Amino acid sequence: MFKKVLQSISKSLQRQTAPAKPVAPEVKPAPAAEVKPAAKAEKAPAESTLKKIAAPPAPAPEPEKTPEQLCGIEPKMNKDQIRDRLKLLYRRYNRAASSLDGKTRAEADKMLTAIVKVREKTFGEI
Amino acid sequence: MAEFVGIDLGTTLSGLAYLKADGNPEIVPNADGERLTPSVVYFDSHEDVKLVGTAARDGGDPDRTIFQVKRYMDDPEHIIKMDGKDWTPSEISALILSKLKRDCSKIVGDINEVVITVPANFNELARKSTIAAAEMAGLKVRRLVNEPTAAAVYYAHSQGVQGRVLVFDLGGGTLDTTILEVVGDNIRILTSEGARHLGGSNFDEILLEAYDEQYRKQVSAALFNDERQRRRSLHAAEDAKKMLSKLQRVSDTIGNDTSGLARIDLTRETFEKLIRNMITRALMLVEQALDSAKLKPSDIDHVVLVGGSSRIPKVKQMLEKHFGKSPKSCGNVDECVALGAALFAKKSARIQEVCNQSYGTLAMIYNAATGEEKVQNSIVIPKNSSIPCSRTQMYVTSEDNERVIEVDITQGEDEDPKYVDVIGRITLEVPPNRPKGCEVAVTFSYDENQRVRALVVDKQSGRSREVAVSYKGAGVLSDEELKRRSSFLRQMRIE
Ligand SMILES: Nc1ncnc2c1ncn2[C@@H]1O[C@H](COP(=O)(O)OP(=O)(O)OP(=O)(O)O)[C@@H](O)[C@H]1O
Ligand SMILES: [Mg+2]
Repeated sequence: MFKKVLQSISKSLQRQTAPAKPVAPEVKPAPAAEVKPAAKAEKAPAESTLKKIAAPPAPAPEPEKTPEQLCGIEPKMNKDQIRDRLKLLYRRYNRAASSLDGKTRAEADKMLTAIVKVREKTFGEI
Repeated sequence: MAEFVGIDLGTTLSGLAYLKADGNPEIVPNADGERLTPSVVYFDSHEDVKLVGTAARDGGDPDRTIFQVKRYMDDPEHIIKMDGKDWTPSEISALILSKLKRDCSKIVGDINEVVITVPANFNELARKSTIAAAEMAGLKVRRLVNEPTAAAVYYAHSQGVQGRVLVFDLGGGTLDTTILEVVGDNIRILTSEGARHLGGSNFDEILLEAYDEQYRKQVSAALFNDERQRRRSLHAAEDAKKMLSKLQRVSDTIGNDTSGLARIDLTRETFEKLIRNMITRALMLVEQALDSAKLKPSDIDHVVLVGGSSRIPKVKQMLEKHFGKSPKSCGNVDECVALGAALFAKKSARIQEVCNQSYGTLAMIYNAATGEEKVQNSIVIPKNSSIPCSRTQMYVTSEDNERVIEVDITQGEDEDPKYVDVIGRITLEVPPNRPKGCEVAVTFSYDENQRVRALVVDKQSGRSREVAVSYKGAGVLSDEELKRRSSFLRQMRIE
């Protein structure tokens, strides 16, 4: 059912940039290459490509997001869906919390706080 | 000579244990008569001496004192400048290890080979830096072992328990949780999950903020204006935190020379509220570990508390509520990691470990059912596979007439490539004029020393390439550099 096509990081980025459609602004500075020592040390060509994409277009000031918005929780989601979503996010951002990149770490901490808030609202306090 | 020695190189406290002739481990005190040595180094400005331990922690100038260096073991850019010399976190750790080696060998004889513990989710660079620190201190590392594994080995040994055990190790800087199975004299690790930057010192910082707020209200000035004042207040906050593990309420008088003193009142309830977000994060890590092992709370026979911060009553309550049984303390919560490491030195063959990370590659995954395709992290060896192990995944090439196949090696569990590390790349040259869709096999193998290898085989041409997946970037010392620094360290006065 699944076909797996090998795709190196540089190729996948070329694919993403090729069409006229701009890269979604929410593409975060890919921690993969920016933060991680190996990629940094190697100075692989991938890095420059990544950096280019990472530079966000001057961001318009956004209103502060609610914990639900940060976690992508929608009103129609039931408790099980929320639980699964929080689990996925916790796993992701707990790992990001030990990133070497200060920005990634700060984002992770903000997300973990939001995850806990949504959890408390949905399932009660510990 | 002490043959089986274990060292817990902690964020706040370090300890060394050895295995006695009767097969039981024992903590070896340092030359200051303490069982555990604060992981703090002080560079004196008058004498050419490096103080390690309590004297360093309580002593002098905060600008010359290095705390919690373990938090930076994987940061090549974290350099400490002292008297014209640059110190890496690994070298600072080497000073701590040197003191342990020197002091303890006076009691138990020569110490050459050791097992050193690390948090379960320490990455490769942090592990390498730890090994380098030991080598600089003149110690050969027999094995690195995960802290909760060591604690579990000690708990199983001292309590003679059988069944599924969940170890909850909340220390000064990290939380580690491991689930394992004890059958007879054998231990099988099922999963290990960790949260870095979740530990007692985070609670201290939170409490310090509360102190500052109360102080400002009363005195209309900041509680601290420099690092020395901040350290002092932090210390007071830590003491209050510890008291609140025993008492419902504490009062403290704090302040500084410029703005005077103020009285701070704090209840356990307030403290619990302040750290609730952190404790919930800790619970979520426990749930993650249970999920990874595909277990329910009721499948766990024993919940074991390890680490100084596990003394906080709220932590015990949270676990008791979740598991429906009260967690057991392994008695000496801040010593059991070192004790377990000494046991591990002898028993490692009886302990079946798992790989700490997922390894894989980036692939365009095409879902035939939905027609969707996207670049994903395609995992070859999932985290928590029993080691040693070897796994293969088949892929196809993406372009016609491709001359070079590039395989990015990833570390991390997330499907989304944004949230994994690319730790290396294998390039394999293949014959010209081939259509896309040629089969490529990617095999990862993981041995008991936690070394990972990746093999890429192009099926059609039979060409292959194998590499050791190893971090070689910034922060890793060459053998020569390591030798130079260790001889430099050996001449140093460390007390
Ligand atoms: N009674 C207590 N109540 C609350 N916290 C305590 C108590 N006793 C010790 N602690 C805290 O425990 C922490 C030290 O624990 P421990 O020695 O297990 O950590 P560590 O091994 O140095 O750190 P890590 O394992 O994270 O590297 C400190 O933050 C200390 O303040
Ligand atoms: Mg510890």
